[in-house]
Amino acid sequence: MSWLSRLANAFRSDRLDRDLDEELRFHIEARTDELVARGLAPEEAARDARRHFGNRLLLRESSREAKLFSWLESVIQDTRFGLRMLRKNAGASVAAVLSLALAIGACTAAFSLIDALILRPLPVQDPGTLVYCSYVAPDSPTNENTYVRQALFERFGRASQGKLELFGTSFPGNLQTISFGDSGVQEENARVQLISGDGFRILGIHPALGRLLTAADDGRKVAVLNYSFWSSHFGSNPDVLGRWFHFWGADFQVVGVAAKGFDNLSPGYRMDVWFPRMNSTGSEDPSQGWDQVWGRLQPGVAPEQARQILQAAFTNYRRDHTDEFIRSGGPPDQLPKYTAARLNLKPGSSGSASMVRMEFERPLWILAVVVALVLFIACSNVANLLLARAAAREREMAMRISIGAGRARLMQQLLVESGLLAGGACILGLAIASAAAPSIVNLLSPSGYPAYLDLRIDWRILAFVGLAGIATTVLFGLAPALRASAVSPHEALKAGARVSGNMGLLRLLLASQVSFSFVVLFIGGLLLLSFYKVTSVNLGFSKDRVALFQIGMNDSAKNDRAYLIATQLLGVVRRIPGVEAVSLSQQGLIGGNFAWIERPAVRFPGREPESLKPRYLQVAAGFFDAMQIRFLGGRDFTARDMAPGSSAVVVNEEFVRRYLSNAIPIGQRFEKTGDDPHPVSQEIVGVVQDAKFNNLRESNSPTVYAPWRYPGGTLEVRTAGDPLTIAPVIRQVIDHFNPETVRAGSAILQSEQINNTLLRERLLALLAGFFAIVAIVLAAIGLYGVLSYSVVRRTKEIGIRVALGARQLGVVRLVISDVILVIAIGLGIGIAGGFALGRFVASLLFEVTPSDFWSLALPLACFLLASALAALPPAFRAARVDPIVALREE
Amino acid sequence: MQRQDSLQGSLPLLVLKILARRGPLHGYGITAQIEAISEDILRVEEGSLYPALHRMEEAGWIKAKWVTTENKRRARVYEVTAAGRKQLEEEETRWRAVSAAVAHVLQRC
Repeated sequence: MSWLSRLANAFRSDRLDRDLDEELRFHIEARTDELVARGLAPEEAARDARRHFGNRLLLRESSREAKLFSWLESVIQDTRFGLRMLRKNAGASVAAVLSLALAIGACTAAFSLIDALILRPLPVQDPGTLVYCSYVAPDSPTNENTYVRQALFERFGRASQGKLELFGTSFPGNLQTISFGDSGVQEENARVQLISGDGFRILGIHPALGRLLTAADDGRKVAVLNYSFWSSHFGSNPDVLGRWFHFWGADFQVVGVAAKGFDNLSPGYRMDVWFPRMNSTGSEDPSQGWDQVWGRLQPGVAPEQARQILQAAFTNYRRDHTDEFIRSGGPPDQLPKYTAARLNLKPGSSGSASMVRMEFERPLWILAVVVALVLFIACSNVANLLLARAAAREREMAMRISIGAGRARLMQQLLVESGLLAGGACILGLAIASAAAPSIVNLLSPSGYPAYLDLRIDWRILAFVGLAGIATTVLFGLAPALRASAVSPHEALKAGARVSGNMGLLRLLLASQVSFSFVVLFIGGLLLLSFYKVTSVNLGFSKDRVALFQIGMNDSAKNDRAYLIATQLLGVVRRIPGVEAVSLSQQGLIGGNFAWIERPAVRFPGREPESLKPRYLQVAAGFFDAMQIRFLGGRDFTARDMAPGSSAVVVNEEFVRRYLSNAIPIGQRFEKTGDDPHPVSQEIVGVVQDAKFNNLRESNSPTVYAPWRYPGGTLEVRTAGDPLTIAPVIRQVIDHFNPETVRAGSAILQSEQINNTLLRERLLALLAGFFAIVAIVLAAIGLYGVLSYSVVRRTKEIGIRVALGARQLGVVRLVISDVILVIAIGLGIGIAGGFALGRFVASLLFEVTPSDFWSLALPLACFLLASALAALPPAFRAARVDPIVALREE
Repeated sequence: MQRQDSLQGSLPLLVLKILARRGPLHGYGITAQIEAISEDILRVEEGSLYPALHRMEEAGWIKAKWVTTENKRRARVYEVTAAGRKQLEEEETRWRAVSAAVAHVLQRC
């Protein structure tokens, strides 16, 4: 009989049952007839025939087993029974489902983030043949560069004809304001991207509306919208075609909407508007180029073959353009390395690495490991629960075996029960994940620079949840099932038999729980400590009550008289009620890793140029006052210093320590050689304390503050009250001050600006800390469960001991000693695991290493405290066992 | 739970042999035949017979069909197949070898 017909039998089981009954009835009747023929009374003959037959039900069962898949049927039966059993233990079941759901939900959220950011193939045609170019700069071998100048891009195109189709894109920029002005002004914040006209064709993207860009569009002012942008900002109105919007001083016409689902080539951001490069000023213009160059391998072309073609073009280009390297300040001795640099073709099937991916890939994997460990802990908790329940149900199992249930069938029934728990947890977990994943994306978005991940629930997520469900069922369900089905009815059914005593499995589960939860606690502790250290770093300035305004300045105003406008602007803002201090600087403090810093060479009279180059920051007068950076000596810039021609600079403590051996430097002069090859003489007029500039992790470095003479850059305003309440006023004042020259951009609090640089630390600390708490709670529950169970099991023994004169302390010691070794072993493994995983985390830590005293002491203390709390109630119960009651239970 | 019956293992052999000799028979007929031929020494447990019959049917050694008996009762009769005959030959050879060996041992002891 084929497998298929067996399956069919399962559904036709009624008829088969009837057939079987009929066959057996015939048998009984035939025997009855014969017995009657031998002279027995008909009733007695019938009884005898039936008795002879034995257990008719068992017979039918095993006959059918041979024939058909009664399995399906039995699963349904077991499901009903399982639901009834779970309802009977509602409290424990709910707790089990909730803890599992939390863990499965966390794993699913982590997976969906990792999938969206790293794993999922781009929604383009045949993503497997997509590649992108990258190379490594000679001075920073870890830093991947992808920028390709137009001249090189054209060489690439000529060299790879027929083997590779190439197109370029720009990096995702900040959110930009684009205004649709044809029918009333409609301003939208959008992220725009340049793309070669050919790009969409090579990617194989289809338009959802209108047309996409083509090679003929290069240089034309046309644009294509993102599908989600179109539906959220234009209500999917097809009228958007042909509309004009204003951006970057030009007008663009919308010609189409890209296919739904195509958001970007670098997961992490959503591009809202694509347009071709507007004007080509010639391929030799060094400012022309593509941030990223993508290629589509043609059929039959191996990646390495394509790479070698591009490599040849790349090397030739660099040989022909060594001047570019020298001009950009490359040391001549590095030139051979520069021309011999390797060009890589990276697989682009899941997109290129965006800032979001580079920043959060490792944190997400760490979180994935942490939540997987939490899932293990939750699983072993549920397994503990089921084991204890299986012990309680031992008699039921024994009864069922002795009336003829098959052991496989019993196991199946217990696994179905576990499956029900896991299934419920999966559904709930999916809900948790779909709520949690988007809020994690918010956590990793800097304000004003929102990250975007496509977190739809697709078959990949569902498959993950399904697998997680099956894995957990097996993990926590198999052991109890195996154990329960191994019940010996003979033993278990004996009157007064004590519940069977195999604690080995419980101990194993407890040990693994202890070690996993300690690993999670350890990692969480490291990340929390690191976050604490980085947030309590001494900034050197005061971040409170300071708002930062980006000030846009017309380039034509960058002349010798600009400082006067700047001074006026500062005066106007200063007079706004509630403003305490105001200043301007080229860049705001703690701009994050994007900040560009000039590092010129300095030379003191009679000395060689210093090998260590200082930071060179430009700030207006009043900056140190506004940011509350303390003066250690000398003075601030005066109005006279703000005029061009002044050589006054202020330096920081570190500058004095490094270059001047702490000698009082007021009046000291030095020469600075930067972009301008002519040395500029500078005079130190003041010394300020060290302050962080770019990010909180940086160490103090020698810094020169020079006057910033333009009405642009970042405007710092310190206010008496909450800056946000007067920020709109300030903005208005700036906008009305001199509209031709100066525009106020977005405002951000200094504290928020700092927080933006700590997104990764905060995300990790928050989530790892949260899961550390979950892990320790689950582990404590597990320990509590095991101890309680062991006290119940040994009540009689304890009673006897007390009756024979054991003291309460001795009883408690007896109970605790049962698990203390297990915990110690678990902790040992946990510490080893923590150190192993800690190495992977170390690069994300700030001033914390896994081998620090506190790194180990803190989680250890937490763990011991939690275990003590968990052990107290069962220990008390053991100590209070009344021998008379315990022994009477017999 | 499972009472060992003396025919375990050799039951398929006997069933095949009887069906091969006597032609199509129903379950009760097979029991009766085994008991009659063995002069009531061998008793077939119905609890073993029917599962065995169904297993053999599934293995393709015998096939079954419904017939109506002379007193108008529906009965399921079994018939040995070609594969069954081959199996019978093998089992018979094996059984003879084993029982000869056992007899040999019993005599020598």
